[in-house]
Amino acid sequence: MARRPPPPDEGREQTSFSRRSFLKSAGVSAAATTIVGAGERAEAAPAVLGPNAVTLNLRVNGAVRPVTVEPRVTLLDALRNELDLTGAKPVCERGGCGACTVLLDGAPIASCLLLAADAEGHEVTTVEGIGTPEKMSPLQAAFVEKDALQCGFCTPGFVVAGTALLAKTPRPTLDQIKAGLAGNICRCGTYGRIFEAVQAAAATRPSQAPSQTPSQRR
Amino acid sequence: MPQEQKPAEPTSTFQAKAGLPASPQPLEVHPATTDIKPWDLDNVAGFEHVGKPRPRIEGPLKVTGKAKYTFDIKLPGMLYGRMIGAAVPAAEILSIDTSQAEALAGVKAVWTTDSRVVRFAGQDVAAVAAVSPDVARDAARLVKVSYKERPFTHELREAMKPDAPRVFNLDRMPSGRDLGRNGNLAGPRPSRSNRGDVEKGFAEAEVVHEGTYYCPVHTHSPLETHGVVASWEGEQLTIYASTQALFAVREGVSEALGIDRKNVRVICDHMGGGFGSKLGPSATGSAFSVVACRLAKQAGAPVKLMLDRHQEHLCTGNAPSALMKVKLGAKKDGTLTAALYQSWGSAGVAGGAGTSGPAGALHGKNPNFKAEEWDVFTNAGPSAPLRAPGHSQGAFGLESAIDELAEKLGIDPLELRKKNEASPVRMAQYDVGAKAIGWERRNRKAGDMATGRLGAALGPRKRGLGMANGNWYVFASENSNAQVRVHRDGSVELITGCQDIGTGYRTAMMVVAAEELGIEPGDVALRLGDTQFPEGPGSGGSVTTNSMAPVVRLAANQARGKLFELAAPLLGAKPEELDAAHGKIFLASDKTKVVGFKQAAAKMSGESIEVLVKRPKQYETFRGDIAGTQFAEVEVDVETGVVRVVKMVSVNDCGLPVNPLTTQSQVLGAMIQGASWALFENRVLDRNVGTMVNPNLEMYKILAPADMFEAESILTPVANMGNNTSTAGIGEPPIVPTLAAVANAVFNATSARVRELPMTPDRVLQALSEARRA
Repeated sequence: MARRPPPPDEGREQTSFSRRSFLKSAGVSAAATTIVGAGERAEAAPAVLGPNAVTLNLRVNGAVRPVTVEPRVTLLDALRNELDLTGAKPVCERGGCGACTVLLDGAPIASCLLLAADAEGHEVTTVEGIGTPEKMSPLQAAFVEKDALQCGFCTPGFVVAGTALLAKTPRPTLDQIKAGLAGNICRCGTYGRIFEAVQAAAATRPSQAPSQTPSQRR
Repeated sequence: MPQEQKPAEPTSTFQAKAGLPASPQPLEVHPATTDIKPWDLDNVAGFEHVGKPRPRIEGPLKVTGKAKYTFDIKLPGMLYGRMIGAAVPAAEILSIDTSQAEALAGVKAVWTTDSRVVRFAGQDVAAVAAVSPDVARDAARLVKVSYKERPFTHELREAMKPDAPRVFNLDRMPSGRDLGRNGNLAGPRPSRSNRGDVEKGFAEAEVVHEGTYYCPVHTHSPLETHGVVASWEGEQLTIYASTQALFAVREGVSEALGIDRKNVRVICDHMGGGFGSKLGPSATGSAFSVVACRLAKQAGAPVKLMLDRHQEHLCTGNAPSALMKVKLGAKKDGTLTAALYQSWGSAGVAGGAGTSGPAGALHGKNPNFKAEEWDVFTNAGPSAPLRAPGHSQGAFGLESAIDELAEKLGIDPLELRKKNEASPVRMAQYDVGAKAIGWERRNRKAGDMATGRLGAALGPRKRGLGMANGNWYVFASENSNAQVRVHRDGSVELITGCQDIGTGYRTAMMVVAAEELGIEPGDVALRLGDTQFPEGPGSGGSVTTNSMAPVVRLAANQARGKLFELAAPLLGAKPEELDAAHGKIFLASDKTKVVGFKQAAAKMSGESIEVLVKRPKQYETFRGDIAGTQFAEVEVDVETGVVRVVKMVSVNDCGLPVNPLTTQSQVLGAMIQGASWALFENRVLDRNVGTMVNPNLEMYKILAPADMFEAESILTPVANMGNNTSTAGIGEPPIVPTLAAVANAVFNATSARVRELPMTPDRVLQALSEARRA
């Protein structure tokens, strides 16, 4: 018999459960959905969340965005379904395609493989935080200029992964670009132009004074 | 098939030029009287916008995550639907118990199938709608289905055996009612390209090659899975659909639900890939759209129902596998005397697995050709058209065989193809491609790099060059309509229902309208992707641009005519003496006599000029098909069997490209997808249980950044003259030659002939050991 999850409205104000009340309400079979609080929460609150919806204070694109979700909800679903940040895409939902890539404290991660609760206390940057249609980042503008997209469903993941790559390696070689984007796939076959876009964006970066070496820029 | 009819009604006749820009051929063309003089090679130099590379208009929305796809739609009170597919490949459904699922808190609607026969794993059985994706998944697990399992057959060659379990009773076979049937086979179906007498041709041959080639099943694997959001307001149904054919969704769903089309609106703004699998109301192996509408009705709330990746692999279509036997006869000088092409393909539980298109069209000087095709049924999801359906498989068989014949004859494979070439376009493309790849560097003796100029072998890594041809057709849909609205303030709207599937279509239409109106493409507000707008074609068969561009141009032309009538009195001239460019209307003979586009528009009576037109008929073409040829350089590690593509060159005819930037993106993408099929992709069904072993994106491997090679697209524009813009579709043609080009390059590198795809290390090593024994 599967556990009965509560309607989302229940427990809206509950941010944590004691282990005893959790077991009482959920039954032992629900243990699979428990998670250990991460980051700052681990010090401030009991170690177990759920199973009812909990309010999480996510930091997304520089703002605190509270969401109330079951603890089993992934960061990807929380961003998309609760915050309407739909740039990160659900494609394989097992970390195999890179379409859901976001930055966690600047590092690219598959948001389908991270629970939203585990993102608390970290800075999440989505493709929407990298630029807007009116004010695109140099990499985003290069994607448009080089036509490094077709259907565009993989594009946000590539933009985020490429942004992380350039932050770490401001003037990457072609092999470094391939390695930096290795976790992303594109079914329309835009790879070559994506590589060109990353190279073009690297060339326009203001930090790229000719005298600097890659290691100095890091 | 190529459409070359002249319209029956009286026609106007134009002299136009077609062919390659270097040697244009004069051509008398007969468009319908309602049509305008076609763009041809004389126009190219004078275009303001057409033919100039231009970044796609929707680019900024897509790179910032702001473009809304069906998967991104969220409506107030929306529920999340989930399909439940059959867990077994062949069975009778004894019962479906949804009571536990219905009792689960948060579940708002449940659907079950009426069908009791399961013929493939993943077939629709039930569905649920719930308050969150997670609750829907919980509910799906609680649906209990009881099956009486039956024997099944999972693979083409197994299904061809006389004692294989039958997928259908003979009278229930879905295809080829007039074809012979035997076990799981329906056929042979003769080709329409059959000609001459192959027996006689083989008797005349001095050299004969026979070979058997095999292609596995590929899945489309669009990154946005199939799905819809369905929402009812009273009788009015709105469907957001991830589709290549908005109007097919409207038609199919309204028929299935027994409601009027007028009450159904289908919307698709951006679409995350389809490659042929999204041309129907739902998918070839599922009715999820109809199910979502029923769930939404039952729940009294909108329902978003997107398939997951596993379901996407099972029930939304695939490219049929193909077993191809090719027999070629030739004179010692390479002149083909006969070709016999036999193909057995499995489209799962569907028919239509033919692959003889390239064999019938290529090497057109060969006088004796015969093709026979069989459909073989297996307990697997039905196929769907996949990017030049059947042609990549067919070209792999045929063009591998041509390469083997060349080896037997001791003739350069490029020279053998030239010898038998009937297409003047492809004849011109050969040297262009050969130069780009450096064909003269190829190993004169396969596997021996000392006989070529590809450098020294890097340890066990050996390089080689290969090539192959492909063909496609000029299809067009006359059910293509467009509306142009010029407002009193001079602003312009272009309104067409037809969807944009990410090809660059919307940018191209803005360019065509702007060229005709003499304004900037960015000043055309394009409304599309909505069945409330004038009807357009489904995006299949490479028809969208060349169906829609002529009608968009015609509508813009008529709106321009009305503006000229307003401008003429201001210039003291006759409307027919005027021309337009850069937002101005002027005397063609004296460009200093000028009036602004907006000034002219301000003179209109009423608030807008509106023109709604239907596409003029397709008329005679310069040539029936779309020619293309490809060259590949590969590197093969003969110790590990790993094949790496180093470079590919695709040479394609594409009519007049409206926007070469996006046109070439499609060519490059097709070539990359083809290389992915050649090297990696393979749908594997478990022979013991009949379910898919790799229903994901890491074991169903798709070419990724690390596998990427240098890809070059060369366009050889041919003013096509089948329509007033001379446009032709390019989405499909460049994937046709790729599989064979890569395989032929592997042969040149190693002397190992890989006749079964994908070219995974195990197959390459086996071919290498066979080559060493020979």
